[in-house]
Amino acid sequence: MAFGLSLPLSFELPRCSRLSATDEELVAQLQQGSEAAFRTLVARYQNRIYQTALSLLHSPEEAEDVAQEVFIEVYQTIASFRGEAALSTWLYRLATSRALRCRRWAHAKKRFAHFTSLLGLDNQVLHELPDHAHPQALLEGAQQLGLLRACLGRLPAKQQVAFTLRHEQELSYEEIAAVLATSVPAVESLLFRARQKIQQSLQA
Amino acid sequence: MSNSDLPPGSDKDWGKLLHQLRFPPRAEPQPFFYARVHARLLAQADAANALLPNWLRKPAYAAALCALVLAMSGDGAVAAPAGAGYPTSNPAQPLAR
Repeated sequence: MAFGLSLPLSFELPRCSRLSATDEELVAQLQQGSEAAFRTLVARYQNRIYQTALSLLHSPEEAEDVAQEVFIEVYQTIASFRGEAALSTWLYRLATSRALRCRRWAHAKKRFAHFTSLLGLDNQVLHELPDHAHPQALLEGAQQLGLLRACLGRLPAKQQVAFTLRHEQELSYEEIAAVLATSVPAVESLLFRARQKIQQSLQA
Repeated sequence: MSNSDLPPGSDKDWGKLLHQLRFPPRAEPQPFFYARVHARLLAQADAANALLPNWLRKPAYAAALCALVLAMSGDGAVAAPAGAGYPTSNPAQPLAR
């Protein structure tokens, strides 16, 4: 779709009919250039996409950035969406792949900054964020969750995505398989290995 | 198919931990998220448009430029009289030795 954004930026609520429209109807309206449909789609999915990105990135700013990019990509490429997968699957796929790319970029940047600091190319002091505090202290109350998130952050990318989609977004195995473009047994295996690694980390 | 990835006999702590993960206060983007997405779309559209100079984005100017380019590219062939500068040998005719 071309940039047909001649539509005024208004904040009126979408009509009830649009709010209750199915995803397929929204896609059809969006493919016809309806901005109201786009607004409804954003309103419907913004929290889920943002939360998914936040789980993978642990940074509200980066998560917001990724969520915005996802919806912009949807707007720009909706014409090529053929409906082979569900709209939600497509959105989750965009969100997870963009979040992982963002994370890889952040890691590369961090490694480069560390390298330049070793060479003395800049005078900034790098403060490494601690991975976790003492396990005994963290395994109490709400801090338990922090420890779990720290363990999650150390999982391989695919395991982390599968775990996040399953336990935070509550997607079914079939939906996760569609997002990751893999099979249900592969998802089961990813989740099983993720759980094993997390439990090992928690017990260490 | 069972959708539970917890093997039988799994400890309660694991379940409780997952429950915490599933039901924390749900994070949401800052208010006016849609407005920011819309603004970014507009900015991208402007950036894409800015790649061409303003006058070239007007169809009349663009068409005139195309016509000029076409006219310039073929002027040698148009200006030259038919056959001038080109060998007129008949392939059927044997070449003179």
